[in-house]
Amino acid sequence: MKNKGLGEFEELVLLAVCILKGEAYGINVKQEVEKHSGRSILLGAVHITLYRLQDKGLLKSEMGGNTEKRGDRRKRLFEITPSGMRQLEAAQDVRQKMWQLIPQLNAGR
Amino acid sequence: MPNKKFNTPKLANWLAAKCINKMYLEEFLGDLQEIYEDRMLVKGKRYARFMYWIDALHLLIGFSSFSLFKTQSNNTMMIKNMFKIAWRNAIRQKQFTVLNLLGLIIGISISLTIGLFIHHETTYDTFLPEIDQIYRVNQPNIWSDWTAQMSNTGPNVAVALREEVPEFEAVTRIMSLGSQITNYKAEAKKDKSFEESAFFAVENNFFEVFPFEFSEGNPKTAIEAPNSMVITQSTAERYFGYESAIGKTLEVKQWDNTWQSFVVTGVLVDVPSKSHLQFDVLVSLNSYQAQMDRDGWKWIWTAFGTYAKVNDGTNMAVLNDKIQAIPPKYAPATTERIFNQSFEEFTAGNPWKLTLQPVKEIYLSEEPPYNAFGPVGNPQIVKVFIAIGILVLVLSCINFMNLSTARSSNRAKEVGIRKVLGSERGTLIKQFIFESTLFVAISTLAALFIVNSSLGWFNAISGKELLLTPYLSQPVFIAVLLVFVLLLGFIAGSYPAFYLSSFKPIQVFKGKMSAGFKGKGIRNGLVVFQFTISMTLIICTFFVQKQLNYTSNLDLGFAKENVLQIGNIEQMGFDTERLKTELAAMPAFSKVGKSFGVPPYVDSGDRYKSTEPEAPVVALSNLRVEADYLEVLGLEFLAGRNFDQALTTDKYKVILNEEAVKVLGWGGDDPTNGVGQFVALASGSEDKFEVIGVVKNFNFNSVRQEIAPLIFINIDNDKVWDYGAGLSFYSMRLNPQVVANPDDLQAVLDKVEASIKSVDATIPFEYSFLDEDFENTFQEESRMSLVLNIFTVMALIIACLGLFGLAAFSAEQRLKELGIRKVLGAKISELVVLFSSEFTKLFLIAMVLASPIAYFLVDQWLSDFANRTPIHVWVFAVSTLGTLAIAIVTISYQSLRAAHKNPVDTLRSE
Repeated sequence: MKNKGLGEFEELVLLAVCILKGEAYGINVKQEVEKHSGRSILLGAVHITLYRLQDKGLLKSEMGGNTEKRGDRRKRLFEITPSGMRQLEAAQDVRQKMWQLIPQLNAGR
Repeated sequence: MPNKKFNTPKLANWLAAKCINKMYLEEFLGDLQEIYEDRMLVKGKRYARFMYWIDALHLLIGFSSFSLFKTQSNNTMMIKNMFKIAWRNAIRQKQFTVLNLLGLIIGISISLTIGLFIHHETTYDTFLPEIDQIYRVNQPNIWSDWTAQMSNTGPNVAVALREEVPEFEAVTRIMSLGSQITNYKAEAKKDKSFEESAFFAVENNFFEVFPFEFSEGNPKTAIEAPNSMVITQSTAERYFGYESAIGKTLEVKQWDNTWQSFVVTGVLVDVPSKSHLQFDVLVSLNSYQAQMDRDGWKWIWTAFGTYAKVNDGTNMAVLNDKIQAIPPKYAPATTERIFNQSFEEFTAGNPWKLTLQPVKEIYLSEEPPYNAFGPVGNPQIVKVFIAIGILVLVLSCINFMNLSTARSSNRAKEVGIRKVLGSERGTLIKQFIFESTLFVAISTLAALFIVNSSLGWFNAISGKELLLTPYLSQPVFIAVLLVFVLLLGFIAGSYPAFYLSSFKPIQVFKGKMSAGFKGKGIRNGLVVFQFTISMTLIICTFFVQKQLNYTSNLDLGFAKENVLQIGNIEQMGFDTERLKTELAAMPAFSKVGKSFGVPPYVDSGDRYKSTEPEAPVVALSNLRVEADYLEVLGLEFLAGRNFDQALTTDKYKVILNEEAVKVLGWGGDDPTNGVGQFVALASGSEDKFEVIGVVKNFNFNSVRQEIAPLIFINIDNDKVWDYGAGLSFYSMRLNPQVVANPDDLQAVLDKVEASIKSVDATIPFEYSFLDEDFENTFQEESRMSLVLNIFTVMALIIACLGLFGLAAFSAEQRLKELGIRKVLGAKISELVVLFSSEFTKLFLIAMVLASPIAYFLVDQWLSDFANRTPIHVWVFAVSTLGTLAIAIVTISYQSLRAAHKNPVDTLRSE
């Protein structure tokens, strides 16, 4: 059951992880996505997506960086893998190509 | 170290730890806490906790069932399948589903309401920290019945306990000062004056034992100095508005019309409603030091509540034995000085036992029955309600069982097919239990909504303040509810599950539906059981109603109607003649009389004896009256005469009731023997009082009690110690010709108020009517009987729902039989009778069973009353026949429908 394309929310999460450059974990990914998309998201949804992307091999993770604020618990930091990067680019490509094929818009400008 | 300030919900963490894989746990909890802290700072604790739960549950569902729904595990498929089958069955037989759900919803709603009520009543005072170490000191009722308990003690008990028993961490005394007129002289504003009715004097260590929360002031020192005062927040607002109360001065009116000043040194958060101590104002007990010095040694000044806090880990049995040495050591000073009796003579052989009662048990205890400082609960009502809650739940469970098994023939084929296809019995049992749990869960949800919206109504009737919503956020409540659903689902589903899963496929497919009738005996048994319970409840509520009517119509021995009473007369001092003259001049009143105490609250009493040698000492209730008061009541004299206020020699004469003549020992039952005899106080004083009259017995206390011996003392008798003390009243007999309607009455009340205000404007005008006062002694019973009536009707409805379903089933089963009978010439009426008789037999059995059970219960309940309504047979007949009629109406719809069916339709298919 290999899923080829990326879901919309998955894409947003992947992008957020890229923006955060190795510092990405549950909460700041949530905040990042909320900031850019303007909608509010449940923490659980972010976690579920992060793990699904890791299962697909698009993300990798390691534990690290405990702070006192978290009750001295470590966080899991996510990073994008090369195949994840490829998927993102592929998605971007597809859109780009399709956008260019919309005739009216080009004519209208 | 986790920051103390950010305490995340423990239960949520525990749940997460149990359900979420260790691999994820650390980061999740970390994330949750981080976001919790952010939210708390921005939007407050409530929001943060709420969202914490949402997030935690979301993660829980996401990560524990993640694998469950992804994998094609057998379990998940089974659960899905069970859902599907349950749903299809419910939809296919809508009538049964609705009946089942309705029965369960009513049952669960009632038991939930009762559960809330019971929880409210049984958790009084639990807000106090270290409640297990706090005790109240009770003693025998030394004024009358030594076998009964009283919660008040003399002031010296606390002193003695402090001296003799080191196991107590603190011993504190509380004195209720009754109603006090309290005044605030605001500069440049109008005085603010209120009558404070919850006004206690307490000692400095009061807040050590009862740490009520302060909003201003220091608990350690607030009540230390004489004339210091601590008031509750709402009291402070009444006097001072939004200004700070600390340092302000309030004046309290004294018995001699002078004013004593108190300085407010502390403000308390309002006392929780679930506290057995209810007060608005506390003053320091040492403000009354002069009185304490004079009377503090007395063991008979029983105006104090004595409370003690024991050290942690004290052996209570040993402590209880130890404190018994105190009365024989300290009380003799009192008995010898006041009564001129030795300790043994005074107690007459009864043990003067001090009892330590845990504070958390006070509200619902049977003994002692009174609490001078706040409300007392009614343990009997709590017990009755527990019983009703359980019975109603049982009724609705039975309904469910009956309806499920009755449907068995419809599901027999399903069971057969599943068995042929290799289903094990265990799987089938699971299916049925799952279905019943589903029903219970849905009903519970509906019941929560219903209870939440109908609690206001319940509160209005019962006079309680119950709320459901605060419980909903308590994890314990949710857990209890879950356990309840699972348990009830299992109980209700177990019998149908085992019964339905036992069908043999071969017999089912052969069309032998013998299995469908196998359960009939049990089903009938359950119907009998249901109706026995319903009928018993109905008979009992009938008698409760009857007893209440009986007591309110009882002949009290005097004319209780048309007597108006005004209180607070004692605050005018001794000179009340001017007011009396004004009142007597009003045409609305035919007679006006003064008394110190009015029925049904004559609670003062003393120990008297006849002056004959060897006469027994007896406790008599006493009432100070003037001659006119006895005329206002219209008491009947059996011998002798009333006082004559014009005769100064009548000052030291007394009047007795029949009962008093009997107990004082003057020749048996003839009340005339009393006249001319002498009585004296048992305290050994020289004064003796001649009996000049004997009145017929009348109820001067609640009719719950037997009529006690009573002595009337002349209002001017200054040789009895309570001369001039206590509350006094004017009672007026209304002239019904003059006061004919409510408008007249209002005019009269206004006039009386004006007269009082003209004598002294600070005296609050309080009035009541004698007959209403008597009714009010049964207020709690009347309220609860109304609630009981409603619950009983609900129980009957549940039973009828079940019956309706069973009748429908039976009609379906017998359709062909009835069709054939009709073809052969049976009339419709005959068919209806035939059909109904099957059920009528069951009701008759229930009737026979219910009557003796109800008789027993009613007899038990009535035994607490001195005046009891007779147990008439007709009540049993009326209530059981009434139930029978309702039941027959319930099944008649089904029987008529079955009988009217065209035989062509019912018989064609075969």
